[in-house]
Amino acid sequence: MDSWISWAGLFWVAAFAMVAGISTIIIAMHALAKSQNSQVPKWRPKNSPIHLLVVLGSGGHTAEMFSMLRRMKLDPSKYTYRTYLVSSGDNFSAAKAVEFETAYINKVAKASAAAAAADAEKKDEQRSTGAYTIVTVPRARRVHQSFLTAPFSTIQSFWSCLLVLRGLHPDQRPLTAPIRSPYPDIILTNGPATAVCVILAARLLRLCHAFCAVLTFRRRAGTQTGSETNAPDFQLRTIFVESWARVTTLSLSGKLLLPFADRFLVQWPALEGKKAWPGMRETEYAGTLVD
Amino acid sequence: MERPIPMRARSPIKVCFVTVGATASFHELLQTILQEDFLQVLRRFGYTNLLIQYGKDGKSVWDAFERQYPPHTGCRNGLLVEGFDFNPDGLDEEMRMARSNLSKGHDGGLIISHAGSGSILGAMRLGVPLVVVPNSTLKDNHQQELADELQSQGYVIASSCQNLSAAIGRGERLRAQMLAWPPVCAVSQRRQRSLQEVMSDELGFLD
Repeated sequence: MDSWISWAGLFWVAAFAMVAGISTIIIAMHALAKSQNSQVPKWRPKNSPIHLLVVLGSGGHTAEMFSMLRRMKLDPSKYTYRTYLVSSGDNFSAAKAVEFETAYINKVAKASAAAAAADAEKKDEQRSTGAYTIVTVPRARRVHQSFLTAPFSTIQSFWSCLLVLRGLHPDQRPLTAPIRSPYPDIILTNGPATAVCVILAARLLRLCHAFCAVLTFRRRAGTQTGSETNAPDFQLRTIFVESWARVTTLSLSGKLLLPFADRFLVQWPALEGKKAWPGMRETEYAGTLVD
Repeated sequence: MERPIPMRARSPIKVCFVTVGATASFHELLQTILQEDFLQVLRRFGYTNLLIQYGKDGKSVWDAFERQYPPHTGCRNGLLVEGFDFNPDGLDEEMRMARSNLSKGHDGGLIISHAGSGSILGAMRLGVPLVVVPNSTLKDNHQQELADELQSQGYVIASSCQNLSAAIGRGERLRAQMLAWPPVCAVSQRRQRSLQEVMSDELGFLD
């Protein structure tokens, strides 16, 4: 057996694999950085209904999230449909979501209804405040769960998040008239573990859309040249707000999601300007968002 | 300021509320506040009630206290000490008891809390002086940073379990010069995009 040929062959194969691997990584990183820095063009009519997905986590995260939503005075006539995503076994978050919907949203809705009734001309503009659902997904890793089984439960959790984003989760009902797309328009989270699955799933779906768009465009290239801005491109936008409890260091989910979230807001000045790698978007200092 | 308040026959109610949170156990804090000398300090500053949320794991510490100092024997320094494990509806009601309320005869009290963000925000929103005690046994100790930062901005008092007695006096000083929460944006401050605006950016509304 003339071993020198096979050794040389092996060397070339290894070298080729390495170059291919490294260039794939560079292209993927570049694509991620590019897509992260892309701005959403102004395409959405002012009064179009919005589907908001809020990812809730355990105790502190949930309390902070509703604190933020109250402080920003979430407008139910704008964000007409709200989905709250909670982890299994987290009754606290689900209860808080119901409390927020009944106490806050109803109050705002009544106030705006009264204002609209007083102003008779604006009566047609009075819109319903829509509805909400609470969706439960399995945890990626339960407390005390073995690390051996954790990858499987993580995949299960990820799959569940994909279903939620596509509106196919058993907890969800088919959406009603004003909202046509199954995909949420915008995803808001402040860093529980589930957020990692949700944001990665959103990125994956958008990647699929991009691929499908390229394929269909090639197929239709000869026949039609329609408008380029189709809605799914600008849905599933993700906003990650680092927890208010994080003053000088990012949380683990924050570190993981820094390259993937479309907007990454921090609430303390010491965290401003961090980025995942050169060329990527920096974290944005938004000041205190909780009340 | 730190001068002990003289005892009167009909003194107003003054509540000190202690919360250790729902998730992690915090025996160190419970043991500190249930010591006799700590109760003495509270009494010296005019407190009449001590209300404790001890959590699911804190029952053993609470029961030990009940056995060691049974109520109505005078060893609680005249304090009315009560405890409960957890309130699934949130702790706003209990925190409100520490707020000054003249019509109910409540003097302004104090909240001693673990460094969980939910509890800190709840207390700051009510404007009750707050002593934050970070749990040093938690592995990822970012709680200490939050407590220190809020202390340096003048919103709360950060304390360890060892220095908790001194923190009671500092609580009285904080009451005199408390800042309102949430902070108002100062004019000189650079204007940041609000959450509402960031969401609108990402939705791409037409002008």
